[in-house]
Amino acid sequence: MVRRRIVIVGLGALLLTGAGSVVGLRHGSDHVAAAPAAATPVDRAADSIARAQQRLRDVPGDYDSWAALGGAYLERARVTADPTYYPKAEGALRRSLIIHRDGNATALIGLGALANARHDFATARDLARSALRIDSYSADAYGVLADAQTQLGNAAAATPAVQHMLDLRPGLAAYARASYDLELHGRLTDAESLMRRALDAAVDPADIAFCRYQLGELDWQTGRLEAASAEYAAGRAADPSYLPLLEGQAKVAAALGRTGEALAGYADLTARYPAPMYLLEYADLLRAAGQPARADDQLALADAALRLFAANGGTDDLGTAQLALAQNRPADAVRAARHEWSRRHFVDVADVLGWALHEAGSDAQALPDARRASALGARNAGYLFHLGMIELSLGKKADARRDLSAALALNPHFSPRYAPVAQAALDRLGAP
Amino acid sequence: MSRRLWLGLAALGVAGIAVLALPAQSASAHPLGNFSVNQALALDLYPNRVDVAAVVDLAELPTLQERAAVSAEGAAGYNAGVCVALAHDVTLQVNGRRVAWTVRPTGFQYRPGSAGLHTTRLTCALRADADLSAASTVDVTNGYRADRIGWRELTARGHGVHPVDPPIPARSITDGLRSYPTDLLGSPLDQRSARLRVQPGDGPAALGPKTHLNRGDPVSRWIASADRSLEGLVGDRLTPLIGMLAVVLALALGAGHAALPGHGKTVMAAYLAGKHGRPRDALVVGATVTLTHTGGVLVLGLMLTTAAGLAGEVVLSWLGLASGVLVAAVGTAMLTAALRRRRASGHHQGHEHHHHHHDDHEHHDHDHDHHHPHHAGRGRRLGLIGMGVAGGLVPSPSALVVLLGAIGLGHTWFGVLLVAAYGVGMAGTLTLAGLLLIRLRNRFSARSGRALARLTRLVPAGSAVLVLCVGLGLAGRAALALG
Repeated sequence: MVRRRIVIVGLGALLLTGAGSVVGLRHGSDHVAAAPAAATPVDRAADSIARAQQRLRDVPGDYDSWAALGGAYLERARVTADPTYYPKAEGALRRSLIIHRDGNATALIGLGALANARHDFATARDLARSALRIDSYSADAYGVLADAQTQLGNAAAATPAVQHMLDLRPGLAAYARASYDLELHGRLTDAESLMRRALDAAVDPADIAFCRYQLGELDWQTGRLEAASAEYAAGRAADPSYLPLLEGQAKVAAALGRTGEALAGYADLTARYPAPMYLLEYADLLRAAGQPARADDQLALADAALRLFAANGGTDDLGTAQLALAQNRPADAVRAARHEWSRRHFVDVADVLGWALHEAGSDAQALPDARRASALGARNAGYLFHLGMIELSLGKKADARRDLSAALALNPHFSPRYAPVAQAALDRLGAP
Repeated sequence: MSRRLWLGLAALGVAGIAVLALPAQSASAHPLGNFSVNQALALDLYPNRVDVAAVVDLAELPTLQERAAVSAEGAAGYNAGVCVALAHDVTLQVNGRRVAWTVRPTGFQYRPGSAGLHTTRLTCALRADADLSAASTVDVTNGYRADRIGWRELTARGHGVHPVDPPIPARSITDGLRSYPTDLLGSPLDQRSARLRVQPGDGPAALGPKTHLNRGDPVSRWIASADRSLEGLVGDRLTPLIGMLAVVLALALGAGHAALPGHGKTVMAAYLAGKHGRPRDALVVGATVTLTHTGGVLVLGLMLTTAAGLAGEVVLSWLGLASGVLVAAVGTAMLTAALRRRRASGHHQGHEHHHHHHDDHEHHDHDHDHHHPHHAGRGRRLGLIGMGVAGGLVPSPSALVVLLGAIGLGHTWFGVLLVAAYGVGMAGTLTLAGLLLIRLRNRFSARSGRALARLTRLVPAGSAVLVLCVGLGLAGRAALALG
């Protein structure tokens, strides 16, 4: 689930780099023809921001540069995980639209990517459609549309959007999206080969780190710990500051029984980036390691982070539901998950809603939701575990045995807290 | 008329400052994210020592993360611990030799933050003995919590010594991490190290670059680029001369903007022609446009700075729609009036004929008023004001950008002034255009014979149709943009 979010933010920003560089190129030709070509990739992002800022101080009415600056800020937010840049990106993109309201596809695409990053997927979809009405050949607009449709649970609309993007501009951003789309349909091998193509197309260290993390996650999902560990390490070698890699490494360390190392990794990660998703994982690991008080501290932090997200105008009922589950408040979890489900029918939401209903004791209601999570064909140990436990509660022993074994066969280490629970349940079920 | 206009503008300006200044300040509360660790080091250089006043500003989540440590060690203990760690990670080299700090914790304070949470403001005083009585080099590096996201600033002042061409400013642009700038064109400051060349003596009053967010020589930037316009001026350091030039430029830009197609001039012309307008009517339209436009820009600017989620372009489209509908309504009213009058004029042939020998339009008007003593007078004024509101309702993007830019840079009052000047410029052009039209029409009707007289009789209905069509067109275009 963590991954889903990273993918969405990552893909969104990847796309904008493309959009920004196109605009930047157009301006570069007449404005900074003499710029040295030998700049390192790391400096390129910062450089394009500085250049756009200077250009706009000179020519404040240049709406193309405002849109490009907005895109560059979003890219910066992705690379540094610094959310400061979101309001700045929004300000720059809106300024661009105010100056040039009609036919400003670049600004609409930027705002769409921003909406995706802020989990406002319906708005992102509408913005992408508006941009496509202006420019029906925009690969970037299809990218925003694909991300939004995926997260809204409209798989049937997401796949064609990805295909359009692949046709219009086969490259890092399109390959990465296509890989994710395949993964959601359970085609993990194809997903991996496409992500390798994305990696081949990546040049910037941050992009290489992104692809390596995704490859590591694909390995992790199928329980290949060594391979995952190698990808995470390769990613850190490319860009040590890419934070999701810390999560990957901590997760693998926990699976290999190196609990102290894993806890230190999570402590480092959450100190630098106290995102609810990381804090929840950290809390699970602390609880599994017999430190419930420290686990509760992390949950209190996650609660504060979610409140701040809401105070800044965001809505993340999925996160709220997951926190409520972790704090053993199943009724609150059901309420929050239902809210989220009313907005979007994404597989993660179905999974959390099903699990929340199970924890609240409504297993009969939970079953359809838990089945919906795997309906597309996604192969996810967490989903299978939830489904199996619900089936077990309903007395469907054969189904429970099948799904719990499938979960553990896919990834025996899927959760430090729940993998042992799955094993114990299977043991109790005994042989068929 | 014009005196009342100026009073109205002045009142609007004052009201605008009062409401606009508030959000600009409160918006700067959390510019760096809720998990940033922000730091400011202010160096004071003396001939025999270096003092550093350090400020660490923890946002909401780090504050929460460290709460356990604070309650375990006590506020004073925690403050001391942070200061020792900071002194360990802040290195100062004088002529290549690292100096040792004496550390004194000076303050720890929780302050209210977002979502009912707190932020932490923590201060330390560092002191090191150093011989700066001769020319020397001072290197400072801040490595404290290097992996955290946050604002990092360095400032340096000399007392009895002075830094030559310092790469860092003398004064904090955040007032010691109390207020962060929200300029869209500035990146968060991340100044982790600096090398200072220090000379004995107080030196010239050169205080170094004032800010890092706004680099560049204002004068050369002024002349440098041809398409550089007023919008840039609000970003410069304000001197009386630049302020005056900016106001003049705003007047000119407003006038020029109104001269561009699409600012209701066609409509106004048609209206004045169709309604046998007087010079006073042109003034009414001009004044209404100015008031509506200035008010509209100020209100929209206020909305955009306070409500983060507001989409400016959508608001503009709705205003465009309203403006179009208003024009169409005025057109419809004109059409019905013209048709009614035409039917009525059948019975007053003598009167009509009588008119055309009089080129004095005051008299002409008087005759009209005579026909419809109350109704026509009120309808005319309402129609004129409707025209003016329609013309000024859609804020011009460049005026809006000027205002937003000024707010972002903390020059709110200046932005309001410029927007007002912009509106006055617009009104000037529109009024002038109206007066010219009236003059032109009078000249024509003076020379015209019977042929033109017949034509003039058709004008009211024709111009009403034109106004109606333009209104429908404007509304349709705005509706398309919304759809």
